[in-house]
Amino acid sequence: MFRLLRRNLLKRTSDHKAEAKAAHDYAHIKLETKLDDNLNRIRNILGESNDVIIRDMKIGPNSNIHAAVVYIDGLVERNLVNHDILQPLMFNLPLIKDNVSQKHTSLLEFFKSTVLTVGQIAEAGDIGSIISAVLSGNIAILAEDTTKALLIDAKGWEKRSIEEPGNEVSIRGPKESFTETMRTNTALLRRKIKDPGLTFQNLQIGERTKTYVTVAYIKGITPENLIKEINQRLNRIDTDSILDVGYIEQYIEDAPKSLFPTVGTSERPDVTAAKLLEGRVAILVDGSPMALTMPYLFIEGFQSPEDYYTRPFYATIIRWVRLLGFLLSIYLPGLFVSLSAFHPELFPTELLVSVAAAREGIPFPVVLEALLMVLTFEILREAGLRLPRPLGQAVSIVGALVIGQSAVSAGLVGAPMVIVVATTAIASFLVVPYADTGALLRFLLLIVSGILGLFGMVLFSLEILSHLASLRSLGASYLSPLVPVDIKSFKDTFIRAPLWAMEDRPEFLHPLEKKRQAPDLMPQATKSSQTRRDNQ
Amino acid sequence: MKKETNLKICLTIILIFMTVCLSGCWDSVELNKRSIVSGLGWDLDPKTGEVTFTVQSIVPSEVKAPSASNTTGQQQAGGELRSIQVDKDTGPAMYDAITRLTQHVTRFPFYPHTKVYIFGKEGAQHGIYQFFDVQARNPDSRPNALIVVSAEKKASDIMVIPDGMEKIQAFGMVAEIKLSAQYSKYPAVTVLDFQKRIMSRTTAPIAPIVGIAKAIGPDGRETKKLRVAGTAVFKGGRMIGELNERESSGLLWVTNKVKIGFIAVPEADLEIVKAKSKIIPELQGDKIKITVDIKEESDLVLYKKRQDLTADILRELEKDLAKEIESQVMASVEKSFALDADVFGFGEAVHRKYKNEWKDMKPRWDEIYPEIEVVVKVKTHLNKIGDINKAL
Repeated sequence: MFRLLRRNLLKRTSDHKAEAKAAHDYAHIKLETKLDDNLNRIRNILGESNDVIIRDMKIGPNSNIHAAVVYIDGLVERNLVNHDILQPLMFNLPLIKDNVSQKHTSLLEFFKSTVLTVGQIAEAGDIGSIISAVLSGNIAILAEDTTKALLIDAKGWEKRSIEEPGNEVSIRGPKESFTETMRTNTALLRRKIKDPGLTFQNLQIGERTKTYVTVAYIKGITPENLIKEINQRLNRIDTDSILDVGYIEQYIEDAPKSLFPTVGTSERPDVTAAKLLEGRVAILVDGSPMALTMPYLFIEGFQSPEDYYTRPFYATIIRWVRLLGFLLSIYLPGLFVSLSAFHPELFPTELLVSVAAAREGIPFPVVLEALLMVLTFEILREAGLRLPRPLGQAVSIVGALVIGQSAVSAGLVGAPMVIVVATTAIASFLVVPYADTGALLRFLLLIVSGILGLFGMVLFSLEILSHLASLRSLGASYLSPLVPVDIKSFKDTFIRAPLWAMEDRPEFLHPLEKKRQAPDLMPQATKSSQTRRDNQ
Repeated sequence: MKKETNLKICLTIILIFMTVCLSGCWDSVELNKRSIVSGLGWDLDPKTGEVTFTVQSIVPSEVKAPSASNTTGQQQAGGELRSIQVDKDTGPAMYDAITRLTQHVTRFPFYPHTKVYIFGKEGAQHGIYQFFDVQARNPDSRPNALIVVSAEKKASDIMVIPDGMEKIQAFGMVAEIKLSAQYSKYPAVTVLDFQKRIMSRTTAPIAPIVGIAKAIGPDGRETKKLRVAGTAVFKGGRMIGELNERESSGLLWVTNKVKIGFIAVPEADLEIVKAKSKIIPELQGDKIKITVDIKEESDLVLYKKRQDLTADILRELEKDLAKEIESQVMASVEKSFALDADVFGFGEAVHRKYKNEWKDMKPRWDEIYPEIEVVVKVKTHLNKIGDINKAL
C-alpha cells in the first residue's frame, strides 16, 4: 500500500513540474520585428490586470517611429517615467536634429546613449526576461523594427521607513532595524561595513514569487566552502513562493527535525554586521525585515547586542542570569512536580510544610495542576499576542484575575504552583531565540517528570544534551566552543571578555583571517600624559 | 528497508517502555496523601517486650493558617496543639506497631523529614538496639536527626507538651537541644554520632535527656514546658545511667565540643570564646595514662569585687578558671568510671595510637577503663576585660 501511495506522490510531483512548464513556456520566445505582435504577446501574458500600463506612442522628428513603454503602475516611480522617459522620448526627440540611422547602430542604442536621462539601463531580447523585469519594477521600452528592448530600473514603491527594532531591544547601541525592502537592508549593512570585501550575491527563488534573495558575506573572512555550501542549499530550493526569510530557513536548515534552531535570525543590522565580521554568512530576503545568519550556535541565543555595547562586568553577570532563566523556564515546573510527587524529602522541611499546606484540598494531582497552569499561560500568551491591541488589555486583566486570584482562592490550584508557573513564564522571555523551544521542552519535561520524577528528568536531560552535542550548523558543532572544547573561544561564552582581549575571531567558524585586532589593545595612559602628571 | 526501520522504531518504543516499567520508580504519591512526620517516639515495655510506636506528624493547613479557636496565641502554653497530630500504637515488634497505625490514621507516614527520635526512659533502660537496626537498614531515615531520651517513662509523654514559639513541637525540641549544645551545656547527638559510638564497641553512646519542667503561662497559671535535663549514658544497647549538668559540661570539654558559653569562678563570670581539647593517651607498662589537653580563651563579663583589675588579678582568674574546668572534667571522668562507660572515646584514642596493643586490650576494656589515670592540663587565657578597666 505504501508503494502505491508513493507512486501517486511521484506522479503528483511530475505533474507539478509539467504545470510549471506550461506556465512559463513564453520564457524563451524572442522578440519579433513587428512591435504590435510583441505588444499583443505581452498583453496576453500579463492579462487584463489594470495595473499594467502599455503606452503606445509615435515619436521621432516626423512622429514616424512606433514605440511603446511597458511598466506596472505602483512599482515604478511616476516622476521618473514622466520626466526621464516619456518627456525625452516624446518631447526632446523631435528637437534633436540628428538622424537616428547616421551615427547609431540602432534606434535603441541611440535612445540609450542620447535620449534617456536615467542611470541603469539593460537590454533584453526575449519576452520572458522582459516580463520578469517589468514585474519586478522595470520599465521596458520597445520599438518598431528592433528585436531588442530596453529595461530601465525604476523601482519605486511605497515602503516602510527604518524603524526601531521591536523584538531585539537594546538600551545602548544603534536603534535601527531592517525593513521589508532589500535595497534598504543591504545599504544598512554596507553603511556599517565599508569593506570592499563585503559581497552581496543575488538569487531569485520562487517559481511564482520570484523573490530576491541575497547572500551576504565578507570576502577574505568567510571560508569559501561555507559560501559554496549555502549556495548549493539555496539552489536546491524549487518552490513556487518565498514570502519570508522563515521560508528559506526551513528549506536550508541542518536539523529540520530538531526542536533547536540551527539558523539564527536577527532584525538588527548591527548584529548581522557583527556576525558577518566573525566569518558568518547572512541571507536577506526581499520583503522580510529579518536576516538569517549561519552557522548558528547554541551559545548565540544567550548573547545580546547589549553585551558588547556595555562594559564587560555586568554583561557577564547578565549572561549568567540568561542561562539561569533558560534553565528555570525549562525545569522549574517539572522539578516542582517531581519534588512534590516523588521526592518530598528533597524539600527543606519548612518549605515542604508550606507546599503541603497549599496542596490541601486541591482536586487534581500535581502533574495535572502544573499542566493546566502551563497550558493556561500559553493560551494567555497567544491570546495577548494575536488579539487586536485594545483587546489585549482585557485579556491580561481577565488572565491576572482569573488565574492569579480566583483559581487559588477557589482551591483549584495551589499558590506555589502559580508562583512556579509565573516565574517560568517570565524566565522564558529572557532568552528570546529559545522561547518556543523552551515551551516545548517544558511540556515534555513536565510529562516525563509526572511519570518518572527526577529519574525521568535526568534521563530526558541526558537525551537533550546528547542531541545538542550531535547537532551541526553548517559544519560547526552546535555546542562549540563548549563541545568540542575550545578554551580560546570561551572569551565570549560564559564570560564576555573585554573587547580588547578578544583578539581572534572564533576558531570554530574557521575564518580565513584569524586576527581581528592588534594585540595589547588594553587601554592605558600614553607616555606623554604620564610625564605630564609627573611634572605636576 | 522500510520494514527494518519500522522494526527499529517498535523496538525502541518497547525498550523505553520497559526501562520505565522495570525501574520500579512508581512511587508517585501526592503530598496531600502523605503525613509528614516531625518526631518519632519509641518505647519498649520491659515486661511484655512489646514496642510502642509514636508518630508526631505535621498538620500543614494548621501550620499555615491556625484555625479560629487557636488564633489568640500560637501554641498557648498548656493549650492544645493543633498543628501536630500524635498517633501511637503497640505491637509485638516495631513493624507490627507501624502497620497497626494504618488502622487509625488517614495518611501514610512519611519519615524522611523526622527531626528527632525520642526514647522513653523505660524502653531505653531495657534496650534500644532493635531500633537502631531498623534505623540503619531503612533508607528513609536521615543520619542528621537527633536522638533524645525522655525523662518520663514513655516517649509520648514529652511529645505532646507544647514548647516555646514553635508550632511544630518536635522542631521546638530540636531547637532547644541545639541551643543548649551551642552554649556548651548538653551534647546534641545525631543518629550518625550515636551509630558511630555503637559501632566502636568500647565507646559508650550518649544522648540528651529531655524532661518536663514547670512554667508559668501568660495568664499566671502553672503550665508544663520541656527542658533539657541531663545526658543519658548507654552501654550494651541500653541506658545505664545519666550525667548531670556539671558532668555533661565536663564531657563536652573532653570531647572538644565546647564552642561558646559562660563559666563561673568564685570571683567572676567568664565568656568562653574559643576552646580546643585533645586526648593524648600514653601506655606506661600495663597502665594507661590519658592526658586531656585543653586550651581555652575567654572574655571577662563580670567581676564581682569592686576593685581595679591588675595583671595579677587576671592571672589569678585564669588559674581559677583552669581549676574550674579541671574540676568539671574530673567530675565527668569519675562518673564515667563509676558507670564503667567510656563516654569520652578514650578507647578509640588508644586504638589510634597503639594499634598492636589494642588487640588484646579491646576485650578487657571494661576492666581496664576504670583504672586509667586521667591528667587534665588546662591552659586558659583572658582576652578582654570589657569596656572598663577601672571599677565603677
